[in-house]
Amino acid sequence: MGPAEESVTVDGSGLTGLDTAGALLIARLLEAFRAEGRAARLVGLDQRRAALLELVSERLGSLSTGPSDETRRAPGGLERLGRLAVAGAKEGFAILSFAGEAAVAFLRTLAHPTRLRWRQALLVVELDGVRAMPVLGMLSFLLGVVIAYQSGVQLRLYGGNLYVVDLVTITVLRELGPLMTAIVVAGRSGSAYTAEIGTMQVTEEIDALRSIGVAPQDLLVLPKILGLAVALPLLTVFANLAAVAGGMVMSALMLDLSPQTFLNRIPEAVSLNSLMTGLAKTPVFAAVIAAVGCYQGFQVRGGADSVGRNTTTSVVRAIVLVIVIDAGFSVIYSWLGI
Amino acid sequence: MATASAPAAQDADAHPVALAGIRTCFGATCIHDGLDLSVRHGEILALVGASGSGKSVLLREMILLQRPTAGTVWLFGEDAAGLGESDANRLRRRTGIMFQQGALFNALSVVENIAVPLKEQTDLSDAVIRDIAMLKLLLVGLPADAAGKLPSQLSGGMHKRAALARALAMDPDLLVLDEPGTGLDPVGADALDELIRDLHGALGLTVVMTTHDVSTLWRVCDRVAFLAQRRIWAVGTMEQLSDSDDPVLADYFRGPRSQAARGLAWNRG
Repeated sequence: MGPAEESVTVDGSGLTGLDTAGALLIARLLEAFRAEGRAARLVGLDQRRAALLELVSERLGSLSTGPSDETRRAPGGLERLGRLAVAGAKEGFAILSFAGEAAVAFLRTLAHPTRLRWRQALLVVELDGVRAMPVLGMLSFLLGVVIAYQSGVQLRLYGGNLYVVDLVTITVLRELGPLMTAIVVAGRSGSAYTAEIGTMQVTEEIDALRSIGVAPQDLLVLPKILGLAVALPLLTVFANLAAVAGGMVMSALMLDLSPQTFLNRIPEAVSLNSLMTGLAKTPVFAAVIAAVGCYQGFQVRGGADSVGRNTTTSVVRAIVLVIVIDAGFSVIYSWLGI
Repeated sequence: MATASAPAAQDADAHPVALAGIRTCFGATCIHDGLDLSVRHGEILALVGASGSGKSVLLREMILLQRPTAGTVWLFGEDAAGLGESDANRLRRRTGIMFQQGALFNALSVVENIAVPLKEQTDLSDAVIRDIAMLKLLLVGLPADAAGKLPSQLSGGMHKRAALARALAMDPDLLVLDEPGTGLDPVGADALDELIRDLHGALGLTVVMTTHDVSTLWRVCDRVAFLAQRRIWAVGTMEQLSDSDDPVLADYFRGPRSQAARGLAWNRG
């Protein structure tokens, strides 16, 4: 190879425009030639473009080897198990400390009941109770319709039309009314609690509260738990009424059971006990939904994506817990023979 | 320092942005009324005015993020009112904005943030996009090892620089900066000022910024537009505005902070 082949001249006089990306590619090209041991020259750039190219090459100088990609090795099975265990332990600790803080806040409020944020709690009753009535009423009504329809189809075969009243009222009052209400509220309000507290966490409002000397638990958690513990039983009564009404309408349409007959049958079909066993679960559901929602909110770290992730987790956990606790109540009730 | 006159649409090369008769109302309150302004090609123009005088809103209107209640916005010589969404996007692509809070995407690393406009708007290969993004990162003076960090791991100054790098990703003709120096210490703010000046020189950008920082006004800006009483009260160089006898200008530009900043600017002169 002669010396003429070893030197390269790049002619930039034909360029009509040059941006930093173009300058970067030219700089890389010259670099590549020089790496092969050839003398590379650039001619024909006007002063401004030459200055741009110089700026780009100068900045690239500190990045000679190109961006270094972090090489991450995939964790082995044992490592993954270990990480899961550590994460689980950390989470358990966080839940315990959250529950502890909430309990301390509750005791503090018991000692000074006037310090409870009544307005906040009443706001919860309105926002998460009163405003949930239309959607909950509609869903419960339809639930009653469906139960009456499904049981009516079977009962008609045996001529036991009247027993549809028993089926509808007992399933609704004992199980489905409280469960339905808790699930709707978990989706509607539990998610809102997580998003609200999570966003406050991101914008450092939680830290601002602490710095002012307000315990975030007092202001954000207790009113929600107490407010929801009042609102959820009331909502459940409302949902029960709507579901029974739905069953009554369906019975009249499909089984020729007049509303009068339906209503007369209710006292025989169901005792006050059934209503109370259903309602007794609801304050527990309320506490779980509010606590899970708030806890997930406080666990938000970083930014918007974390708020979204924790909101999902909050709703899923709350609904799972509600159903598990409901099953637990069933077991306890059967032991007690209620 | 006469107020800007309504420009003709055809002088796009001389005026990348021109506003005429802008009126912006939120409900019953109007923050702009009969506002005219034209930005010259290749200059650094600052919008100043009291808090709440509508500086940021005006910036958003310039880059078609918000429509004024009435009036005309010309961006690169095209009347924004008559543009469909795809045409508006074509024009927005030639602008870069650095938002007041940075607005970096929290879920993406710094270099991924810078690469977003390149990925969305170009057909370049991933390797080239990464190279360009790294170049922008270095151009704004961030260390190479900041590339893999998440926005939440950055200090205030680095956050601003990363946002600036993303604004520069597409080599915009018009760079819009909303309060670039806010939240930075004086050293960091000075460094950012110099960076803007350098990049402006090297890339031939037209820059429009809002700022409260008088030393930025003295050291970086070619012209300053002063918003008062719902319009551009005056446009001119810092010397012109601060030497003016107009009581409204004198109030703003002859305060002790402004005077001190001027002294510094002369000393560095």
